[in-house]
Parts: sequence; C-alpha cells; structure tokens
Amino acid sequence: MTTVRFVLNGKAVQAEVEAGTRLIDLLRETFDRTEVKEGCGEGECGACTVLLDGRPVTSCILFAWQVEGRSVTTVAGLDEAELARIREAMVGEGAVQCGFCTPGFVLSIKALLDSNPAPGRGEILEAVSGNLCRCTGYERIARAVEKLAREGGSR
Amino acid sequence: MSDTNRYNVIGHALPRVDAPEKVDGKALYVDDYRFPGLLHCAMVLSPHPHAEVLAIRTDKALSVPGVLRILTAADVPVNQIGCVFPDQPLLAADRVRFVGDRVALVVAETREIARHAVSLVEVDYRPLLSVHDPELALAGDAPALHAKGNLLAHQKIRHGDAAARLTSCDVVVEHVFEVNYQEHAYLEPQGALAVPETGGGVTILGSMQCPFYVQSGVARALRLDRNRVRVEQTVTGGGFGGKEDYPTEVAACAALAALATGRPAKLIYTRGEDIQISTKRHRMRMRYRIGADRDGKLQAIHVTQFVDAGGYAGLSTIVAERANSTAAGPYFFPNAHVDTYIVYTNNLFGGAFRGFGNPQVTFAIEGMMELLAGKLGLDPVELRRRNLLTEGMPIICGQALPPSAPSREVLDTLVDRADLGRLRAEAEAFNKTSRFKRKGVGLALSMYGCCLHAGGQHLEGSGALVQVRADGSVEVNIGGTELGQGAFTVVAQIAAETLGADYGRVRVLPSDTRMVADSGPTVASRTTIMSGNAVRAASLQVRSRLVELAAVMLGCSSRDIEVGNGLYRGGGKELPFADLCMEAFRRKLHLAASGWYAPVPKPWDKETGQGIAYSVYCFTGHVAVVEVDLVGGLVKVEKVIAVHDVGKAINPATLEGQAHGGIVQGMGWALSENLVLDKGRCLNPGFTDYLIPSSLDAPQMDVVFVEDPYPDGPFGAKGIGEPSLISVPTAVALAAGNACGQLADRIPVTPEIVLRWTELSRRC
Repeated sequence: MTTVRFVLNGKAVQAEVEAGTRLIDLLRETFDRTEVKEGCGEGECGACTVLLDGRPVTSCILFAWQVEGRSVTTVAGLDEAELARIREAMVGEGAVQCGFCTPGFVLSIKALLDSNPAPGRGEILEAVSGNLCRCTGYERIARAVEKLAREGGSR
Repeated sequence: MSDTNRYNVIGHALPRVDAPEKVDGKALYVDDYRFPGLLHCAMVLSPHPHAEVLAIRTDKALSVPGVLRILTAADVPVNQIGCVFPDQPLLAADRVRFVGDRVALVVAETREIARHAVSLVEVDYRPLLSVHDPELALAGDAPALHAKGNLLAHQKIRHGDAAARLTSCDVVVEHVFEVNYQEHAYLEPQGALAVPETGGGVTILGSMQCPFYVQSGVARALRLDRNRVRVEQTVTGGGFGGKEDYPTEVAACAALAALATGRPAKLIYTRGEDIQISTKRHRMRMRYRIGADRDGKLQAIHVTQFVDAGGYAGLSTIVAERANSTAAGPYFFPNAHVDTYIVYTNNLFGGAFRGFGNPQVTFAIEGMMELLAGKLGLDPVELRRRNLLTEGMPIICGQALPPSAPSREVLDTLVDRADLGRLRAEAEAFNKTSRFKRKGVGLALSMYGCCLHAGGQHLEGSGALVQVRADGSVEVNIGGTELGQGAFTVVAQIAAETLGADYGRVRVLPSDTRMVADSGPTVASRTTIMSGNAVRAASLQVRSRLVELAAVMLGCSSRDIEVGNGLYRGGGKELPFADLCMEAFRRKLHLAASGWYAPVPKPWDKETGQGIAYSVYCFTGHVAVVEVDLVGGLVKVEKVIAVHDVGKAINPATLEGQAHGGIVQGMGWALSENLVLDKGRCLNPGFTDYLIPSSLDAPQMDVVFVEDPYPDGPFGAKGIGEPSLISVPTAVALAAGNACGQLADRIPVTPEIVLRWTELSRRC
C-alpha cells in the first residue's frame, strides 16, 4: 500500500492504493466518481477518459500512483457554466444516444476547445478519435463541437 | 421531410428527454449502483469448445478470504435458460458446448477477490471432438451436441414451383455468399444486479432490452412466481439486439447469488468475456440460384442457407425466420423455394443483432442482382427497378404487400439524391488516372418486416401507463425500453401531442415490470409502433375526460374543443392545460389510464412458409462510395446516402441519429469488424483487435426520409432501428468490389480479400 495525493475536481485528496490499483478503480470505488465509465479495460474505447493536468487520458490503463501530485478532472469537475454550454450543444444537436460514451467525449471536447477554440471538422474528428461511440456514427457529435466552435469555444 | 407537418410536437426535432443527465455523467448505469453489503460475482468459464465436465473442486477458491460461495449446477433450482428452447443450462452440469460456457459462479466481497478466486476453481474436463462448420455438423459422423442431433430447425418457403421454373428460365445465375459474425460492441458491457426481497423473491436492476424476458427467465430458473421477480431496467448503454434475450443469463446469475447469500449481488462482464460468450450476429452461408427471362423479369429463386447457432438455441430459430421469409429481398419472384437450416456447432453463440437475419440475406440477394444484371447486360439499378415489389404484390410467403410500401419512391429518391450517374462517372474518371487507388460505388436496397414475425406474434401486445398530475405534469411508463435509440423521447412526444401537454413536462420513467403488463421485447424495430400506440391509446382516454371538462368550463360542446400547444380551446375561449388538470383533480376525475395495443392476428403455415409474415414492411436504400487502397488493401468509405421509408418522422433529429449510427455500424461489419476464431475461441476479444469504426472512419452521410403514413402506426410512423443498418454492409461491400471489378461475396471485405482481388485483376 502506498499513499497517493492528488487534486480531484479541484479538491486535494489522498488515498491508500496498491501498486496495481488502476486509476479508474480508485476514481469509481474510492471516490464514487461513477461518471467515469469502463467500456473495454484496455484503453481503446475512451469511456473512462479523464483530464490529467488538462489533457485527456484513459484511466483504465493508468495506475493510481501515476497521478501523484497531479490534477485529475472528471465531467463532474468542469466549471458549471462551461458544462452548461457543452451540454446545450450536445443535447441540442442530438449528439447523445445511449450516453455511456458521453462523459468521455465531453472531456475530449473540452480539452480540444481549450487548445483550439475554433477547430475545423478534421481537427474535431481527430480529437475525439480516442472515444468510441457505437450509436451516433459521430456525425451529430461533430456538429455539436462545430456549434461550440462557432460560439467561440466552451468557455 | 414533409414540410406540411400539422402537429405541435410530432414531427419536430425536439431534444431528447434523457440527454442532459447523460452529458453530466449523472445517469446511473447498472455498475454505478451502490448497495450496502453488495457482493460481486465472477464466472468460471469453459476453455474447451466441447467437453465433459468430470469434477469441479472449489476448496482452494473457497479458502480465499472474502469468498462467500461458489455456485454450480446443483445450486440452480431449474437449471434451464433459453428464451425459445430450454436447451441451455445456466451453469453447465456435465458438459460444455462452447468456449466460455459457464461452469461456476464465484460470489465474493469484492470484484477483485471474485475474479482472483475464479483462477483457483479447478475443473476437470474430458475434451470431446468439436464441430465448427454448420454443414459439417449435419454430416453423419459429426459429434452430436444435443440429444436430438445438430439440426436445431429447418425452415422453408414453398411458393410456386421454383425447381421446375428454373429449368426453363432464359438466364440462371448461382452463387455462394458467406458472412462472418458481428459483435454488438455496445459500449456498456453486460451487467445485472439482484437484491433479495423480504418475503421472498428478488428485484433485478440491469442493462437490458427486455425486462419481461428477464422476469420470466429468472422466475423459471429460480422456481419463483413471476410476481416475485421485479425487473427494472437501468440506463442502458446500447443493445442492438445483444441485450435482447442474453441479459436473462446475467440476471439469473446475480439473482442466484443474491438468494444464496441473502445479500445484493452484482455481475458485470469484462469486455473480453462479453465478446467471447454473449450472442453475436449469426455467421451464415447462403447458396442462391435465381432465374429470369431475357428482359430481366425474375421468375424463380432457390435458396439453401445455413445459420450457425453455436452451442445452444437462444434466439437462432427466430432470427433465421427473418432470413427465411425475406430471403428474396424487395423483389417479386413468382416461384420460391427456400431451405434454412439452423445448426448447432461449438462456435460462438448466435443471436439477435440489428437486422436479425435480414442483413445476411440482403447481402446475398443484392449480390445476385448484380450478377444477373451482368449476365443480362442490364444496368443493375434498372434490373432492381423492373422487379421491385410494390403495394399489393405477393411476396414469397404469399402475402400481398400491405400499405405503406413506397418502394419505388425510395429507389427513385436514392438514385436522384445520390446523383448515381455522376458518382459512377466520377469513380470511372478517377480510376483511369489513379495508379494505386480505385473508387467504387455500391447500391443496395432492403425490405424489412417491421415488428414481430407471425411466429412470435403471441408476444406482440404492448402496454403503457399514462398519469397526468394536477399541476399538468405527466408521467409515462411503457413496456418497451430506452437503449439509446430514443424510445422515451418518441413516446413523450406522442403523449404530449395527444394530451396537449407541455413536452418539457412529460417524464418517462424507467421501464419496470411493476408498472406495465408484459409487453414483449424491445426488438424488431417495434417500439415506436407498439409502445407508441399504447401511449396514444392511454393518452386518448385521459384526453377525452379533459375534453368533457373543458367543454363544461368553456361552455361549448365537447365536439368543438381543439387541443394543442398546451391549450384546450372552444367557444372562442381557451384553457391552459395545467389549469384544466388542476380543476379535473378537484373534481375527482381519473387522470390516469393504461393503454394496450395488439395488431390483428397473422396466419402462418410453418410447413410451407406461407401466410402473413409481418404486419408492415420498411423499405430502405443505401448508396456507398469507397476508395480502395490497392497496395494495403484498406477500404475507406467516403460517402453514404441513405433513404428511409419511415411512415412518419416523429422526431427527425433522433431518426437521423439512428440512421447515422446504422450506417457506421453497418460499414464496420462490411470492412473492419472481423471476429477470428480458432476452434471456437475468439482470438480478438477486445477493441484493440476487433475494430469498430472510430470518428476518423465515419463517412460523409446524407439521410433522406420518405413519409408514406402507415395506417396502423402512431401518427403514421413505422420503425427505423434495424432498417438503418440492413442495406449498409451490402452497399459498402458492393462498392469495394465495384472498385476492384469483382463481386463481393464475403463479409467482411478484409484487406486480404482486396489484395486477392487486385491479384486476380492483374492476372486478367
């Protein structure tokens, strides 16, 4: 057992973890962050995406100890106004179906818009290519991001 | 889209009722539920495709701290599951029939402990000869998987005299088509949670399409009355057919653990388990022979096809019935002879998947149309047009095609919208100048019988409960489920439109066996029609009470009351819906009603496959444009145009979203999704090697709806769930073949196939 100290959704936290504890299990089981979903367990589907110091990573293939001293953000940690804008675009454009992949997409989209507030279609598709969606065919997700881009990003 | 929509709510692209909490990550999927004392299950699975189980030793696993129970066959009260035939044990007793057959269930304090203990359960097997091809499984020397042999069922169509007519046709073509499995790859894996109830029985929470299947299956396995098994669907992360009958197994395991320990218990599959052991789109081999006159008039079709069921029956016979009765696609054949053999093997478990046997036969019949057109020297689209079934014409089961059936409008719209001539010319021009790449265009049509086949019509009745509260808010329960397809949004629109209520104040509650009578499964693209009609029926009852009251309050005749936009109007005055509801409550009017919808009976003769197969049919067409890399063999889908006959678009936005999803899922099967088996063991049970399309693979998509109202549909609507996919794989595969000057007769079209085509054309 070792102690990992990190910032979760803006708050300093700590927990005892085993060397092999995955970040997703720490988030879901210890901190009840159930918005982080497990879809594949091998870093392919992106449902478990979190932001690590602002950049999207798949939490199912990170060890918990790897976030020592760093900042982890889930969709619940987004600024309320920012989440509201993303929500409005995603709901308004019909970018959500079963929703299991959606929190992961939201974080990849936020990270994209933080670094590039006016991405084109190609940049959008590239930025979410680590998030698999089996329902929407990605088209309406891309339209939601284009809408956010037209409105000057997510902030 | 029709621009003459006369409704306030129906036909409008309103936002989904369930989307905001999904964006926020607050929607609770089954693995997100927490209960005090919750236990976790893990499964001991057979590593052999076929073996005797000689002994199971559990002492080592039981000695692990935190392990409570290890359940085996002897612990299951009625060790039989299987939706249609009771040929499948929940926990294998003496024999396993596929890799992943479940032998024991470990119940422990944590998931980690449960999974660890699985590796300590020792099972002695005596491997038996296994069989991995349906035709070989029917040979006399094949090992028999079940007491009655390996032929699970033989379905037929006997219509006219195909064999005789084929001998006198001007032109006859024949070909064999093969398609591989497809994995649903819903993003949320299978999972269920069971809570033991005081007084006996169990409550199931789970990811599923069909709560009533789970209720009846769990009740049978645990020998409980159905009224002791309450099933509530949790928010479900995709289904596509994979959560039709299969969740019964998952739920029965969780329920068994819960009742054995007296504590809540959960079973969540890993992705690898899910791919290996849950149901798949069936692998099929289809031998087709069709004959026509010199002018391209089709005369006869002869089909012999094999459906690989896997080790147990599951829904294979039901899936096969669709492949059987729609084997001729949307074309008129006066003579038809179809033999569909459903065969046990030691391969993966075949089952329901979006399209349900239809995508397979669509691939075969559309390939046959290409071959025949080539032989006749006719344009393949023209050949299709000349033989297209239209309203009133008999299909191969003898049924006159009922309205709505706008098949011609679908084909004409598709050709126009795609600008097919230009697409073909562009591809030709590109291919003349490009050395390492080729473009191809493919077109495919499909005809899908909407709702359940005659053979399953006893399950077709569907219910709903609509309750209007005194403040004008509305609660709706349906017997169908929300899987992501938008069912809750569509029924909320139907309730709001019918009642004249505010759409934003209609709440659709989670599907729960306590609230609505057994409404059959959420499958067969039937939910808009079945649950929609039931909600409409319930809403109309409440509405008529409100209309009577409004007439009294407004001082006019109830016949003069108009309902819409949140208002009841009459006698030159109007009443807001909420005010009317409050007054109705004060006057003690009953503002709740249950609705029920069941279509008229459909006669069916099993021996000849003649009768009324389906209540109504949906026509769809897709055109795909692909670019093929001749060096690497990869196929990139550039563009797909879809035309859907939907009856009436209740919500154009969710409808288009379904159509997009069907396109991308369909092209995945056509090209990159390739389950590779070695003696029944899947070699790529994960998303690293089983490649579902990503955002970078998605093509440009153009979706058009044709609205020809279905007289028995709510506001004229038909289903979209499965038609959205059915003709996509064929259009994409044909386009890839077209690029290389070959006929695609295998799905998926892997790079190896493309390279073989390239090799062939070089030799020519």
